[in-house]
Formats: sequence, C-alpha cells, structure tokens
Amino acid sequence: MNLKKYTSLLRAGIMESLNYRLSALVLFFGNLVYIAIIYYLWRAIYASSPTDVVGGMTFTDTLIYVVLASSLFSFMEMYFVWDIGRSVQSGKIALDLIKPMAYRDYVFWSCAGTLFTNFFSVFLPTFIVIEIVTKGAIDFGMNLVWFIPSVIMGVVINYNIDFFVGSICLYTESIWGINMMKQVIVLLFSGATIPLAFFPDKLQSIAYHLPFQSIYNTPLSILLMHSPSVSQVLPMILLQLFWCVALTLFTSLFWFISIRQVTVNGG
Amino acid sequence: MENKGFLFYLRIYRKILAQDIKSKMSYRADFIISTIGMVLTNVAGFISFWILFQNFSSINGWGYYEMLFLYGFSLVSITPVQCLFDNNWNLRILVREGDFIKYCFRPINLFFYFQSEIFDIKGLGQLAFGIGTIAYAWYRLALPVTVLAIVKLVVFLLSASLVMIALQNAAAATCFWLQNSFFILDFAFKLKDYSKYPITIFDPVFRFIFTFLLPIAFIAYYPSIVILRPDAIPLLSYLSPFVGIILFYLSYKFWMYGALKYDGTGS
Repeated sequence: MNLKKYTSLLRAGIMESLNYRLSALVLFFGNLVYIAIIYYLWRAIYASSPTDVVGGMTFTDTLIYVVLASSLFSFMEMYFVWDIGRSVQSGKIALDLIKPMAYRDYVFWSCAGTLFTNFFSVFLPTFIVIEIVTKGAIDFGMNLVWFIPSVIMGVVINYNIDFFVGSICLYTESIWGINMMKQVIVLLFSGATIPLAFFPDKLQSIAYHLPFQSIYNTPLSILLMHSPSVSQVLPMILLQLFWCVALTLFTSLFWFISIRQVTVNGG
Repeated sequence: MENKGFLFYLRIYRKILAQDIKSKMSYRADFIISTIGMVLTNVAGFISFWILFQNFSSINGWGYYEMLFLYGFSLVSITPVQCLFDNNWNLRILVREGDFIKYCFRPINLFFYFQSEIFDIKGLGQLAFGIGTIAYAWYRLALPVTVLAIVKLVVFLLSASLVMIALQNAAAATCFWLQNSFFILDFAFKLKDYSKYPITIFDPVFRFIFTFLLPIAFIAYYPSIVILRPDAIPLLSYLSPFVGIILFYLSYKFWMYGALKYDGTGS
C-alpha cells in the first residue's frame, strides 16, 4: 500500500488550515465564551434543583460532558458534505472521481488535516481549561486510555454518517436541508445538546439503539468514569466497533450505487 | 434610501423577491427538504427544552411556562434575520471570489440590494412555531390579553429582532477584512441559542458583556420582562427598542464601510 498519497493530502490539509491562523484564534476565544456560558447555565440549573445528583450526574459531570461534547463536535465536524454538494453542482466531482484514489479516501484524507489541527486548537485547550475549572475532576487513568480509541471510532462513525448524507446529495441536489436534518438528529441523539442520562426512559432507549450515541456519548461516558474495569468498557467499545464496520460497509455500498446518478454537463 | 424614496425600494424588493422565489421553486425537492429540516430543527430545540424541564422544575426562579415564553420570544425575534438577511452567509464567498463587485455597480443602495437578493421562506415555519409557543405560554401563564399588551409584544419583538440582525451584519462584514470569517459569523449565530435564558443566571461580568458588548440579552430577556413581569421592569427593558435601532444603524454603517472599501479581486 502506498501511504504517501494519503500523507501528502494530510500535509496539504494541515498547511491549508494553518493559513487561517486568525480563525483558529477566533475559534479558541469563541470556545472560551461558550464554556463560560455553559458553566453559568448549568450552575443555575443545578442551583435550582433540590438534589445535587440528577439523572446520575453531578454538576461537574454535566459540565465536563456538555463542554467536551461541543468541542468534540467542532473538532470532528468536517463540513465536507458542503464540498460534495458543491462539487456535484459545479461538476468538479468528475475531476475528483478520476483521481487515482477512491473518492471516499480522497475526501477523508483531504479533511484529515483540518481534523488534526482542530485537535490541537480546539479540543486540547478546551480539555485543559475544563480540567482546571473542575479542579482535576477528570481522572488520568484507564478512562483516558480507553477514551482515545473511542474518540477515533467516533470520528469514523461521524465521517460515515456525513459521507452517507453527502451521497444523498447526489440524488436531491439539496445540501442545506439534508445537512440541517443530519445535524439536528445527530446533535440530539448523540447527547451533544443534552446528556443522554437526562432523557426520559423511552427516548433514552431509542437513542441507545441508534448509531449517533456512539459518536459523543460513548467516549464522554468513558471519560467520566473513575478507573473503569475492562468489563465495564468493553461492551461500549464493541458496540462502537460494530457501528464502525456496519456503517463503513453500508455507506461504501450506498456510494457505489449512488455514484451512477451523477451527470455532469460538459465543463 | 434618502434619495430614492421608500416606495421605490419597496417596488424593487417585490420584483427581486419574485425572482428569488421562482428560482427556489425550480429546485422543488430542495425546497421541501429544507423546510422539513427547519421544522425538525425547531422540534429538536423544543424536545431538548422539554427534556431539561423533565429533570429540573425551574431555572433561577423562572418556571417552565415563563421559560417557554422566553424561548418562543427568541424564536420569533430571530426570524427576520433568517428570512431577510440570509445572504450574509454568502458574503464571505462572494467577497473572496470577486463576485461581490456586481453589487457595487447598481444605482441603488448597496446594502439593500445585497440583502434583498435572498428571501428565506423556510424561516416562516419558525415564525409560526414561535408564535404558537408564545401564545401557549401566554395562555398557561394567564397573562391578560389586551390591545396594549399585544402592541407592546409586537413593538418589542420587532426591536429585539433588530439586535440579532445587527449582530449578524457586523459579523458578516468582518469578511471585508478577514479571509475566513465563517467562524465569526457562526459564533454570532450560535450566540442566539443562549438568548433564551434569563440573564440573571450569569455573574456580573458576563451580565455586562451580554448586555453591552455582545448584546444578546436584548434578543429575548429584556424585552420579554416587560410582558412577563410588569411589576419590576428594569430601565434597560424600556431602552431595548432604541438599542435595537441604534445597533442596527451602527451595523449598517460598519457593513457599508467595509463594502465601500472593497476593491475586487482583480479578475
């Protein structure tokens, strides 16, 4: 396997996003404001509650969960559905398809650079800030070790869902609407807006049967555990693995069928 | 608008609007999907609101129906920015790729022509949803229904919407100076999600910021108080209509300042 073509796309992506240093700065400060808002909001919510623990979560748990969910979101969100949609509308997709690389891989590795820089400019600073604010509430133990593969699988699942949505664009030529629907469903059922622990039983069991909770809820739940045992974590990780494999197969197949839809008029 | 008159602009607006709606209707599937996406967004927003109140009975002394009123109020007051000023999202792309120059060659107000080009019909669903929410909360809170109250509501809704429009204009206009202003625009747009919470949950520093620097408190909190708690109206509530008008004027000047110094890309 020739890895060089992937690494050069990755490098190009990193260099491209480093070009927009100011936007990284805005992203960083925007994130700080966001953390502050979330902090005061949930503090007020918990202050109005008669008990300290709600739905099995303390204020600190909720704060870590909600803040990191949002930073995971801005770190993982690659916005490439828009690129696919635009390439279809402009006809650029014809050029992408004749590249000596599968389109799936091409899209993923083009975005991987942004993913890489976002990790350092968004996720890591947020993680450090929240660790300081909560006075070290996140353990540095096995939970962190499990968290890493869990996030990586979250990225893969998120990527697959986005790629599926991008494939739908080949039929509908609608980008905004489809993307909006995806975002709403993913954000709600992955626990990114409100932790899944707060959901009423019925909604919660629906959420646990959908792949979305594997994107944010699983890694974050693992992170919040205190020295978890293998038997606690393994079922969650295996479920993620299942979704990774199943979605990869499904979206590859769906793309293979959908790509026949594309018609490009001259150029 | 000084030299051409209001009616002239109204007539032009109607014509541009008709063209825009025609072109939208030619992508019927996209229109339908986008509308569903918008409805879904509002439904999901309401579901997360509802889930929150399943776990907590009040926030900082604000009960369920009062919060629902704030929520509906913020939905309605962000509708005009969604419907009438949606072209701001395209501004940075048009500026970067040089297409913005076409707006500079029209013998009408640049800002007016640019914003009138797109009317986002999807926002009307949100308007209906918001009005429904306000009406329901109004009924459950047993607030008196008088002509004066309705007039107050409409005046404060309109002026609150100017605040959001001003924020969005100013954020979009940064693209005349910055290369990638998407994050600023996105940040301003996300701020609106926090306008539905009472400002009293924040500490004084953030209360100051959200009142005077990033004035999201004027989107729902200060104007709503006039109707929700008529016994203790802060001075800032009475000022909110003027705040809306002044901010809108300033953002217009800022936008125009950037637009007039724009000198194309040379292509």
